[in-house]
Amino acid sequence: MRPFTYARPDTLADAVALLAERGAEARVLAGGTDLIIRLRDGSARPAVVVDVKRVPELAPGIRVGDRGTLVIGATTTMTEIAAHPLVRRDLAGLAEAAAVVGSVQIRNRATLAGNLCNASPAADTAPSLLVHGAVVVAHGPSGERRIALDDFFVRSGVTTLAPGELVVAIEIPAPEAGRIASAHQRRTRRRGHDLASVTLACGLDASGLARIAYGSVGPRPVLRLDTTGVLADAASSDEARAPVFETIFADASPSARSMRAGPEYRLAMLRVLGRRALATAQARLAAGE
Amino acid sequence: MSARDGTIGSSPNRVGGIDRVTGAQRYLADLSVADALHAKLVTVPVAHARIDRIDGSAALALPGVRLVLTADDLPQPMPRFGPQNVDRPVLATGETKYQGDPVALVVADTKEEAEAGAAAVRVDYEALPAVFTVAGALAADAPLVQDPSLRPKDPRRETNVLNEHVVAWGDVEAAAAEHGLTIVERRYTFPMVTHFAIEPHAFMAAPDGDGVAVWSTIQHPNWLQKTIAGLTRLPLSRVRVYAPDPGGAFGGKQHAKYEPAVVFAALRLGRPVRLVLTLEETFQAVRRASCEARVRTGFTSDGRIAFHDIEADYLIGAYTDIADRVVGKGSYPAAGPYNVPAVRIVARAILSHTVPSTAFRGFGNPQINWAVESTIDEGARELGIDAVAVRLRNLARKGDRFIPFDTPCDGEWEQAVRKAAELIGWDQPCPPGHGRGIALGIKSGPTTGLSYSIVRLLADGSAVVYAGTSDMGQGARTVFAQIAAHELGAPLDWVTVAMGDTALVPYDQQTSASRSTVLMGNAVLAACRDIQAKLRTMAAAQQGLDEADVTVADGLVRLASGRELPIREVLTAGLGKLGGEITGLGEMRKEAEAGHPLSGAPAFFEFNCTAIEAEVDADTGDVTIHRHVTVSDVGKALNPLQVRMQDEGAAIMGLGHTLMEHYIFDEEGRIRNLGAIDYRIPTSMDLPRELRSEAVENADGPGPYGSKGMSEGALLCVAPAAAAAIRDATGVAIRDLPLTPERVWRALQAGPVPGDAEGRR
Repeated sequence: MRPFTYARPDTLADAVALLAERGAEARVLAGGTDLIIRLRDGSARPAVVVDVKRVPELAPGIRVGDRGTLVIGATTTMTEIAAHPLVRRDLAGLAEAAAVVGSVQIRNRATLAGNLCNASPAADTAPSLLVHGAVVVAHGPSGERRIALDDFFVRSGVTTLAPGELVVAIEIPAPEAGRIASAHQRRTRRRGHDLASVTLACGLDASGLARIAYGSVGPRPVLRLDTTGVLADAASSDEARAPVFETIFADASPSARSMRAGPEYRLAMLRVLGRRALATAQARLAAGE
Repeated sequence: MSARDGTIGSSPNRVGGIDRVTGAQRYLADLSVADALHAKLVTVPVAHARIDRIDGSAALALPGVRLVLTADDLPQPMPRFGPQNVDRPVLATGETKYQGDPVALVVADTKEEAEAGAAAVRVDYEALPAVFTVAGALAADAPLVQDPSLRPKDPRRETNVLNEHVVAWGDVEAAAAEHGLTIVERRYTFPMVTHFAIEPHAFMAAPDGDGVAVWSTIQHPNWLQKTIAGLTRLPLSRVRVYAPDPGGAFGGKQHAKYEPAVVFAALRLGRPVRLVLTLEETFQAVRRASCEARVRTGFTSDGRIAFHDIEADYLIGAYTDIADRVVGKGSYPAAGPYNVPAVRIVARAILSHTVPSTAFRGFGNPQINWAVESTIDEGARELGIDAVAVRLRNLARKGDRFIPFDTPCDGEWEQAVRKAAELIGWDQPCPPGHGRGIALGIKSGPTTGLSYSIVRLLADGSAVVYAGTSDMGQGARTVFAQIAAHELGAPLDWVTVAMGDTALVPYDQQTSASRSTVLMGNAVLAACRDIQAKLRTMAAAQQGLDEADVTVADGLVRLASGRELPIREVLTAGLGKLGGEITGLGEMRKEAEAGHPLSGAPAFFEFNCTAIEAEVDADTGDVTIHRHVTVSDVGKALNPLQVRMQDEGAAIMGLGHTLMEHYIFDEEGRIRNLGAIDYRIPTSMDLPRELRSEAVENADGPGPYGSKGMSEGALLCVAPAAAAAIRDATGVAIRDLPLTPERVWRALQAGPVPGDAEGRR
């Protein structure tokens, strides 16, 4: 590991100022589960590491904000998210995803904002947050702004955060058409902790809108909507659903270079996971879970 | 006495176990000495390269960097070493032969400075064509891995075939021409896998008076001592090897790797130098040989094996290490624990531009056993004979010379097969969607050996056992302490086992081949018996009896009158006012045998039967192991809990190469999955839903109290048992490992495949 300066600002203003000043020389440290690996293998060589865990606005915690919005503090860990009663009740897919990120030790450190800012196409929390319409609250030199999560990801490691901007919280707005029942599914090479070779979530609401989001099959997580009502219809046939899934998965472009799974397998598993997540979401919607 | 009191057949807490699990044990990486410098290997990121120039000036200009050691700094010609062929250079000279072959060693004040220095060494090289598959290595225009001048008298020197091992008996072609045989011919592949000991290899060396001290995570301290003495031209007595208990080894720490380079650096600088590998570097230091095997087997209509015709190509690495022995010793029992009248086995050790393969739990047997046991399974299916029945029909019984020139069958192997079948519920209906598979395996134990032990019975009745075995987690300390406690009547926690220092502990040939309980165990036992003889003399004198009227055994002195005396009482009285101690010397020797293809018949066989019940998710290819039963013939379990746990560990390790582990290469032979993120090993979540590890005990082994060596057997047949279970569940046969979800899914998509070149006469 190469030497670097460690900074631990106590205020949001100091953190933003430091990040704005040092630009690409600086890396943000929250849980560290991605950053430390890169510091060790030399793929990240920052001059300054900015620990944001002392910034009050980024504090961990899950609360209900204005108009029923669920607000998840940037440094909330996966363990807290997976165990939180509101998340488990209203965002089942997110609870499932947070529960399979890394290992127990990693989940005790890894933060939700970190998982999103790392912008891995395989980020397990991204699909569930996408189907729940999550919004990233960012704070930067020019103040605060809200970025729809679907407008946040660019490609692996790259987001639309401007230089100097920090994620303060993730907001999940109260759904307009009643609750969204969600479910998460993933494929890995083993049952123990692993990176997803396909990660997918499905969200359904009473209006008949189905949302499917998926990752690890292209440069960034993808959100697609089915407005035909076919997927949301618990009585629709597999034959009717198949072409809808084909449309939804048309943008998947898994790399042939990946060693985690071949493109053919990934594309097939998208369809398997899509069917399974849909079935679970339908059951949850019907059960009022 | 209770089952946990430490006597033979009880399972006391592991000696040193608390330290291991609390982190108190000091592994080599935890040790340092004053003024120690830190080293880092310099490598080039290709499989095969010509080294044109190494410029260390930029590295030497960095703060803290003390030395950039290259081939030019070493004695000329380049000193080489190796346990079989002296073919491995201390540092690469002229060419690198595998990705990770070090061209230089940078030594600096701190680890970080050494890393920065290594990154600053400029190596001008030209990547050369590399061979990293069997086909590539055998191609007519394949580049030669080894310089032919290293084996001038070998007719194969202009090829990449290092050696060919042929074992045959009976007349295979005549047997194959018999009418009515069902002949099955199949091809199987076994991947390259690495040991993945949790403790990475670590080395330290320091000038030590007129000699050198070497610390290593080595399994064979005495062998390392000999290697370093040879390279430095020092007498053995001037090379002191410290070998702290390794944190897992599995064969990957048997022989010298980078100790010689560290020694040369330390002697040149006159200061201690330490090198701790990263996990990624251990992937480039040790691995198991991959294997491509063709098996042709003939069955009579009633399921007798008429012949085996087996060819196996093991892809060893760039230097021999012990790999040619792995190929020879691992392949000669390829016909399995069966009475087969005609057998031909041709196994080749093939050099390649890959990490040198070495000993690895199972020692060449798992690769070929995967192929042969799977072929037997396919034959049984074709004949419509039950997989257990076909094996029992052919299984060797005790005393059978199932390998004509070798140790006869030395166990009641049928008992292990029947026990495994019973535990898996072989005769019970399988739950819907599940499938079952069973496989047998044997592995030869040590063919030669030499172990000395000294035991000191101290004045208070406590004891110190000196044993040159390395306890790398297998529990040797515990078993030796149990033997001494049992024989000398001392509580287990009054016995100290001293290991890992060649200046203090007498010679032991090696810690390998599951030998230590038998060979060192017998040496410890003999040393205790030596003490017992002296106690007998003492007791006779004290009691005014003839020695014939005194016996010392099982920790007690017994007089002809029937009276029993504690050893401690006799000892205290006998030592008198000066005190002192009684010293015992034990020696266990197994000489080489002329004419045997392995230069000796094994002291024992490890026999195992594994049965697996599995379920396959047809949509995803996921394999769920519901039940995994492993039964080994161990002779006598000196510590039943350790025996159970050793086989559990071997079974789980076997699930690694069976289900998920393999090196992945790019088109140029570079390792793509270098490190833990993309080289997956089983975690606790990947274990079978139920894992049963049991032993058969008939006290019929050559070790103390009838014990045999064990701990490798349970790895031998995991893959064929799992693949047979998958086949039973799905109808699909898969002949390449590992059985990843994607591979299983692809096989399911393709549907049942007819065998290649099968036929019925």
